[in-house]
Amino acid sequence: MTITSLAMQRRRATAGRLWKQFRSSREGMIGLAVLVVFALMALAAPLLADVRELNPVFARGQGNPQWAPPSEFGPLGTDYIRRSVWAQFVWGSRVSLFVGLAASVLTIFIGSVVGIISGFVGGKTDALLMRITEWFLVIPFLPLAIVLASILGRSVWNIIFVIGVTSWPSTARLVRSQVLTVKQRLFVDRARSLGAGGWHIVSRHILPNVSGLILANATLAVPISILTETTLSFLGLGDPSSASWGKTLEEAFVNGAMIRNAWWYFLPAGIGILIVVLAFTLIGRTLEELANPRLSRDR
Amino acid sequence: MHPGLSPVVEVDDLHVQFGDARAVDGASLRVMPGEVLALVGESGSGKTTLIRAIQGLQKAKSGVVRIEGREQAESRNTAVQMVFQDPTGALNPRQTIYEVVAEGLRIRKDTGDEKEMVKVALSRAGLRPPERFFQLYPHEISGGQRQRVVIAGAMVMEPRLLLADEPVASLDASIRGEILGLMRQLVDDTGLAILAVTHDLGLAWNIADRVAVMYLGRIVETGSTEELLADPRHPYTRALLSVVPETREMEQQILTGEIPDLTRMPPGCRFHPRCPLFQSGTLPDDISARCVADDPGPVPLYASSAAACWPVMASAG
Amino acid sequence: MSEPMLSVRDLEVTYHTQGGPVPALRGVNLDLERGGSLGLAGESGCGKSTLAGAILRLLPAGTEVEGQVTLDGRDVLTLNPGGLRAVRWTSGAIVFQGALHALNPVRTVGDQIAEPMLVHKTARNEKQARARTESLLERVGLPGHRADDYPHQLSGGQRQRVLIAMALACDPLLLIADEPTTALDLMVQAQVLALLSELKEERDLTLMFITHDLSVLTYACQRLAIMYAGRIVEEGPGWEVFEDASHPYTQGLAAAFPTIGDMSSRLAPSGLGGDPPTPGNLPEGCPFHPRCPLARAACTVEEPALRSSGHERRAACILV
Repeated sequence: MTITSLAMQRRRATAGRLWKQFRSSREGMIGLAVLVVFALMALAAPLLADVRELNPVFARGQGNPQWAPPSEFGPLGTDYIRRSVWAQFVWGSRVSLFVGLAASVLTIFIGSVVGIISGFVGGKTDALLMRITEWFLVIPFLPLAIVLASILGRSVWNIIFVIGVTSWPSTARLVRSQVLTVKQRLFVDRARSLGAGGWHIVSRHILPNVSGLILANATLAVPISILTETTLSFLGLGDPSSASWGKTLEEAFVNGAMIRNAWWYFLPAGIGILIVVLAFTLIGRTLEELANPRLSRDR
Repeated sequence: MHPGLSPVVEVDDLHVQFGDARAVDGASLRVMPGEVLALVGESGSGKTTLIRAIQGLQKAKSGVVRIEGREQAESRNTAVQMVFQDPTGALNPRQTIYEVVAEGLRIRKDTGDEKEMVKVALSRAGLRPPERFFQLYPHEISGGQRQRVVIAGAMVMEPRLLLADEPVASLDASIRGEILGLMRQLVDDTGLAILAVTHDLGLAWNIADRVAVMYLGRIVETGSTEELLADPRHPYTRALLSVVPETREMEQQILTGEIPDLTRMPPGCRFHPRCPLFQSGTLPDDISARCVADDPGPVPLYASSAAACWPVMASAG
Repeated sequence: MSEPMLSVRDLEVTYHTQGGPVPALRGVNLDLERGGSLGLAGESGCGKSTLAGAILRLLPAGTEVEGQVTLDGRDVLTLNPGGLRAVRWTSGAIVFQGALHALNPVRTVGDQIAEPMLVHKTARNEKQARARTESLLERVGLPGHRADDYPHQLSGGQRQRVLIAMALACDPLLLIADEPTTALDLMVQAQVLALLSELKEERDLTLMFITHDLSVLTYACQRLAIMYAGRIVEEGPGWEVFEDASHPYTQGLAAAFPTIGDMSSRLAPSGLGGDPPTPGNLPEGCPFHPRCPLARAACTVEEPALRSSGHERRAACILV
C-alpha cells in the first residue's frame, strides 16, 4: 500500500470515530435530524408547494380566500392578499437557510483569514487589524446593518454581504487567540528548526489545530445569520421579491395578523426560525464538546 | 573523535541582550565532529538563549556563530537539528509519526526516496519494525518512543550537529539510559556532534566527552569530562558537583541565594558574592581584591581546558 | 516501640475513568515511625502520587478506596467530614510540586499561607496569622515582606519554599512532600532538600518524600520504598537499597543515576528497556517481567509478594 492510501485509511478511521462520538450525543443527533428535515424541505420545495402561489395575482386568479385559517384552506391557510402560507413557509425556508449559510461562510472566511494573519504575523499588522476589528465590534450592529442595507439596496446578495461584513470581527478575535496559543507550541518551534517557512507552519500546524474551533464557531454563526436576516427583513430591509421567513413575519405584522388573531400566518415562520436556530445551536455545542472534551465534563 | 578536522560549531564571543538584561555576555565554545559537549548551567545562565542563537532563531548583539565554518545567518541551517526537552509537546498531535519524520524532508523538497529515508531514520532511532509506527499518532506511543521519533525526525535531515535541550529530563528514569545510549551510538556511528544542554551532571558523565559550565551568560569553566567532574577548578563547578546526589566524596557546598538579576551584574568576578572560596577567607588579600574589582572574563574560544577564576589562574601561571 | 505515625494496610485505589476502571494502587502496606523519614520512589504510573492523595483522602470523587490508613492513631478512611477536616493540615500536610499552578495566581502568597491557619483556628485572628506567616517565610528562607507578593513574582525555588511554609502552617506531625524538587535547578534543589532536612530536625516531623529522582532520596531519607505498577516492590534502609538493590527493577533504576567518578558508567549509560506499564494494562504474573533481565518462566505465572531480602529489607521477587 502506498503512503497516501495508508494515510487516507487513517483519516477515514478518524472521521469514523468522530462520527461515532457525535452520534452518541442525543442533543447533536436531534439537531442534525431537524436540520436534515428542513434541508430536505427546502430542497424539495417545488414538490411541496407551487411557487406560483407566492404571486398575489395568481392567488387572486385561483380564487383563494383572504385570511383563511387552515381549516378552510390547507395546510396553513392564506394571508392578507390570498397567498398560500404553506407555500411561503416552504419557499421561505430556502431563502432563510441559504442566506444563513452563505452569510456564515462569508463571516467565517473573512474572520478566519483576518484572525490567522493577525495572530501569526503579529507586530504592526496585528495591531492594525485588531484596531479595525475593534472598531467593528464597538459600533452597534443593527444601526450599521440598517445603514448598509439602505445604501446598498434590498437584495438577497446585499443582505448576505451586510451580515458577513458586520459579523466577522468576533470570529476574527476567537481565531486570533487560538492562533496565538498554537504558535507557542513546541512543535511549531520544531518545524522552524526543520527550516519551515510561514506558509508551511500555517497550513500544516496552525490551521489543523484551529480548524476545530472554526468549525464549531461556524455552526454557531449560522443561526446568528439567520436571525439577523430575519431581523433585517422584519425591519423592511429584506429583498421584496424573495419570500423569506423574516419577510413573512414582517408582512404579517404590518398587515395586522396579530390583531386578527391569524395565528396560522405568523406562527409557522416564527416557529420555523426557532427550531432551525435551535438545531444549529445543538449541533454547534456538540461539535464544541468534541473539539474540547473538557467542556463536557464541566457542563 | 576525529582529530584534525574543523569544528562543527563555533560560538565566538556571543552577546545577546534583551533590553538591559545581558542573557549571553561573551560566551565562546566549539564542538568538534564526533564529540559530545555537555553545556551545564542553571536557569538564568543563558544556555537556552545560546542554543537558540546557534539555531539561528535568536539575533545576537555581537559575536558570531559559525556552522561548519560558515557564519550562521538568520535563515535556519538544517545542518543543526534539535532534540527537545518535552517530546510530547514537540509533536503535533494531528500528525502521524510518518508525517512527523518526513516533515523536514518535505520542507526542503528533498528528491530522495522519502519512504525509505523515514524507514531508515525510525529504525536507527530504535523503533522497529518502522512500518508499525507510520500510521500511529503521538498519543498512541510512549514518552520514550516519542523522543525517539523526535530524534528520527532530526537525524533524517543528516545533520552535523544535534542540539539536545535536556533530552531526557522529562522521561522516566529507567528509560533514560536507552535514549542516552542511542545518542552516543549515533555519534560513534556517524561522526555527529552533539551539544547537550543539561543541569544533570550524571548525563554528562554518561555521554559527554567535554563539559562547559555556564554562569550568568558566560562559560566559566571547560575541560574534558573526567578532568572537570573529577577535579573541578572553578568554585561554581565545585559547588554544583558537591550537591549532585551521586557524588559522595565532596562536602556539600550549598550556595546561598539564587542567580542574580541579569540587569544588575555584580562588579568584578560575577560569581564572587556567592563564591564559597571567596567567602572562606582563605584567599590571599591581593587575589581576593581582584575578585571584587576585576572581571576574569569568559573562557576563550580555543581553550580546551580553562577556568575563569582568579585564584585558579594565579596557581596555574 | 510506640505506634507508627502512619500505617497503611492493603490499600487499593481504583479510579473510574471514561475508559473503565483503572487500578492505581493494588495492595500497599507500609509503616512510618514517628520522627522517621521514608522515601517513595517510582516512575509514571506506579501510583506514588495516588498514595499521597489517598492518605489525606484527596482523591477525586467516585474513586474506589479500600484498605486502611491510620494516621496518628486515627483511621483516616472512615472519618466523617468534620473529623477529616480536623486531620487535614493539622496532622498531615502535603507539600506539592512548586509549579506555577499549585498556587492561586490571584491571591498573595501570604494570604495563602495564612488561610489554613484561619480555617483550622490555629491562629486566633488575622493579625496573629500574619505574624506567624512572616515568621514561617523567614524560616523557609524568604524575607517576611514577600508575603505581599503574588506567585508569579517569585521564582520556582521561592514558590517551592512558599509551599513548604504553607504546609507547616498548622504545625503538622506528618509532612508529605510530593515531588518538591522536580523542575528545580540543581543548586535550588539542594537548598530545598537541606531546608526540609533542617525543618524535620527542628520540629521533629515525620517525613514522607515522594519523587521519581531516586538519587535525591538517598540523602533525605532513612528508609526507601520503590513502587512499581501500583505496589511496593522493594523496601529497606535508604543507602542499602540504592547501592545494593535486591529487586531487578531497583537495580535498573539505580543504574540510571550513575556515580560520577565511577569508570564503569563512563560513556556507558545504563537503563531498562521497554516502558513502565500503564495501570489497567498490566502483564500477567510479575508486572516487571517483560523488562526484567533476570526473568524466568515462573515470573509470568504469579505476582510475587514482598519477602524478606535482608535485615529489615523486603523485595517482591522470586529470586530473593
